[in-house]
Amino acid sequence: MTRPKAFTEREDDSLTEFEPLLQMLSHRDVLSDYERELVAGLKRRIVRIPKGGELVATHSRPSESCLVLQGFTAREVYLKSGERQITAIHVPGDFVDLHALTLKTMDHSVVALSDCEAAFVPHGELLRVIEKSQHLGRLFWLSTVIDAAIQRAWIAGIGRRSSVEHLGHLVCELFCRLEAVGLTDGQSFKFPITQPELADILGLSLVHVNRTLQDLRRRGLIVWKGGTLTVPDLKQLAAMADFDPTYLNLVVEPR
Amino acid sequence: MPRYFIDTSDGDRSILDEEGIDLADDAAARLSALDALPDMARDVIPDGDERRLSVSVRNAEGEVIYHATLTLAGHWERDDRARAAMPDGSV
Repeated sequence: MTRPKAFTEREDDSLTEFEPLLQMLSHRDVLSDYERELVAGLKRRIVRIPKGGELVATHSRPSESCLVLQGFTAREVYLKSGERQITAIHVPGDFVDLHALTLKTMDHSVVALSDCEAAFVPHGELLRVIEKSQHLGRLFWLSTVIDAAIQRAWIAGIGRRSSVEHLGHLVCELFCRLEAVGLTDGQSFKFPITQPELADILGLSLVHVNRTLQDLRRRGLIVWKGGTLTVPDLKQLAAMADFDPTYLNLVVEPR
Repeated sequence: MPRYFIDTSDGDRSILDEEGIDLADDAAARLSALDALPDMARDVIPDGDERRLSVSVRNAEGEVIYHATLTLAGHWERDDRARAAMPDGSV
């Protein structure tokens, strides 16, 4: 599969650029002014990636880690048959490949599910900041640990939940993650994902995903119109989907 | 790519596809319909010994061009086992 590689780069040293990352970290622990300055001062190049573009290629050996600033991205695994499994979604404030700092070689690729803006931070910069603040080092570590917790929730969904619970669980998770970075209006969020992509996330056939969406709509649990997903009653959806947000670690405590 | 409408029924609930999906050709539409059957079955089985799941493909002109059913037909081989399997001991 060929992908558009129309990357455009621009210079930007705005201190507010890393706000989604600072918000993501601040939902887990208190950051000192010094730590905020360290994060905001990370050298980076800002790249806009069009929908469908690749942020990180499989088998590549990145020398930078990629932080999503705007848009939705996905980790994906392709099979020989051409079938795809999306193994993670990353939203603004998430590093998509912080693990490449230690993994070195990527075993999967990361693709833009919508038009995206991302910051590529040299590994040397991350190491410099981690050496200056062990606490920030632990928080970066925490973010990869939370990635793993999310994978556990996804495995349980793919392996054991009914389709309607699995989809409901995903919507609850995305709602919580997006709310943490200020990207919901309390009930709705932008959900720039197509039904075939949703099928690749859930590991279900496209037709069954469509059926499952209709089921959730019929019960009044979600409204999905024009790229905006509305959850009229998050508690009700969470109860139906057996969603317990503990794994997202959205708790401020010393780490 | 032509648009197809894939209607489904899991034996409890029928869903008429009103949006449709764009697929390469009739063969791709058939595959897409068949692909849904195991997913639907996984959501409703086990629940009883008889069930009929079905999928129908309509083309853009509204003509049904393909139909498939997946049938579950389970039964006990001996009556005493059937009685024992019922919660109240009756058949």
